[in-house]
Amino acid sequence: MTNYILKRLGQGLLTVFLTVSTVFILIRMAPGDPAVSYAGPLATTEQLDNVREQFGLNKSLLEQYWIFLQQLLTGNLGTSYSFQAPAMQVVAERMPYTLTLATASILLTAVVAIPLGVWMSRRPDTGREFGVNVLTIAGQSMPDFWTGIMLLTGFAVLIPVFPASGFATWGGLVLPTITIAILQIALISRMVRREMTANFAAPYLTVARSRGVRNSVLTWRYAMGNSAIPVFTALGTRFAAMLNGVVVVEVVFAWPGVGSLIVRALETRDYPLIQATVLLTALLAVGVQLLIDLAYPLLDPRVRLGKAATA
Amino acid sequence: MSLDTATAGTPAAQPARQPSPSAVTKADIAAAGATRRRKAAKTKLIVGAVCTLLVIIPIILANVLPLPDANFQDLSARRLPPFTDGHLFGTDQLGRDLLSRVLHGGQVSLTIGLLAVLVSGAIGIILGSAAGYFGGWVDTIVSRVLEAQMSLPLLMMLLLVVALFGPSIPVITFVIAIAQWPEVARLTRSMVLVEREKPYVSAARILGLHRIQILIQHIIPNVIKQATLVVLLLLAQAVLLESALSFLGAGPQRPFATWGRIISDGQDYITTSWWMVTLPGLVIVLMVVGVNLLGDGLRDRPRRKKKGA
Repeated sequence: MTNYILKRLGQGLLTVFLTVSTVFILIRMAPGDPAVSYAGPLATTEQLDNVREQFGLNKSLLEQYWIFLQQLLTGNLGTSYSFQAPAMQVVAERMPYTLTLATASILLTAVVAIPLGVWMSRRPDTGREFGVNVLTIAGQSMPDFWTGIMLLTGFAVLIPVFPASGFATWGGLVLPTITIAILQIALISRMVRREMTANFAAPYLTVARSRGVRNSVLTWRYAMGNSAIPVFTALGTRFAAMLNGVVVVEVVFAWPGVGSLIVRALETRDYPLIQATVLLTALLAVGVQLLIDLAYPLLDPRVRLGKAATA
Repeated sequence: MSLDTATAGTPAAQPARQPSPSAVTKADIAAAGATRRRKAAKTKLIVGAVCTLLVIIPIILANVLPLPDANFQDLSARRLPPFTDGHLFGTDQLGRDLLSRVLHGGQVSLTIGLLAVLVSGAIGIILGSAAGYFGGWVDTIVSRVLEAQMSLPLLMMLLLVVALFGPSIPVITFVIAIAQWPEVARLTRSMVLVEREKPYVSAARILGLHRIQILIQHIIPNVIKQATLVVLLLLAQAVLLESALSFLGAGPQRPFATWGRIISDGQDYITTSWWMVTLPGLVIVLMVVGVNLLGDGLRDRPRRKKKGA
């Protein structure tokens, strides 16, 4: 068990390391000079040189990488060019907003998608099921920025029930959450239906039914019990992905989270800020992934962690 | 076959030529799960095809249709509502014909989507089948890369690459293809793993065929059909991904703005000119719903038995 956790932690850290290294190389390979975007188009060559000197951009790539590795170990990724504050701090201040949005969205998704998927799996091939099925297809076909703008116009402008942007009141959470959840509900409910249908067709369920087990128990304890792991994994993976910033939705609703931060950091070529964002979100995502794996034995007593890793 | 005939009489009492009586009526068959499933799949296929074609045909014909130039500005005809002065979708804040913009932008979006899906499909099928068939270190490398990519912050990386290397059509196509190949690769790999153990593969090997020849001539033809189905569903995702990128300003600007860009342009005028966001969005939804329905219908369609079986 401890071995397993250590192994997974090692793998996770390796992934994070490779990710930030890739990003480090990518942003330096690309055209565009952060000194120019920092000093402005009217800066003289001397001023640009000063800026490069100040940010250490005049050093060779290897030297810069070496410094970056040292910074990585101390957890201080340098000063953000545009915020003039430690980059990690800037990102850390935005993180709670993204966390709140992601948590609210995943909760709403779970609460709606699981019963919906079960409902569909219990009425296969009926007209109503077909209708809901088509609705879920529509749900996964709508671009989230468009859904967001539509909801925004409908419920913040035409009928001003919720605030249009930001997170000043709890009401501000409603529209972005719904926007994200529409897509997730469509995806997860279809998945729940698929898993449940497979379990309903399994022989063990026929045996249980013939023994006279009640339908609700069949559904929730038997079939759901066996669908729990894939469904839980899907929800967890989606949640981890959301921590990387629900970029589009954050931009639409001017949500002060990590997603809108990275868009701005990219525009201004704020190297430390880009690196800090990627590092922090990758760490969080890997951490969540590990927690999901650790929760498997709780959901299914047959799972032994060390062995599950090799399977 | 007359299945709704008499239920009376035992099979033994009937003359040998007559079909054996059955309690199953035509109504029963029509109400059976399999029939309804087939009908549902058929409905999805038809509706999906109609939705897709409704968007694609005008896009293909955009250069022929009597439409104003997509980039022609007429400041005296700004923000006209739909159906005025021959502007079916109305005009935008610079007086450009919205329908024309949507159709010409659609050409770019669709080209990117199709190219991206072709590239990712090719990469995915080649690497996935190689990993599944050869196993060993090939499999290890491909699987590790797959895993690593699944744990990467996807949209963030895409944005990063596009923001850094410029929003040109090749860059965006490449980026979407890179985002999508894991799905094809994983599916192909798992199917090839199953296929590889079948007797015909051993037979081919005993006949002395080279491993690569077996893979290309015998195994891939058996999995390609299902793999292409996934590729169809990826087309829908590619269109959505491209529109999200161009919404964030990381989409191609030339020769025409694509769908996401048109929507983000119209965003500022949403309260006064609803059509500038709503209509392009509906076009995307129609198209993506169509492709998704097609993919779903094809997958749900009951497999026809082969001739003679």
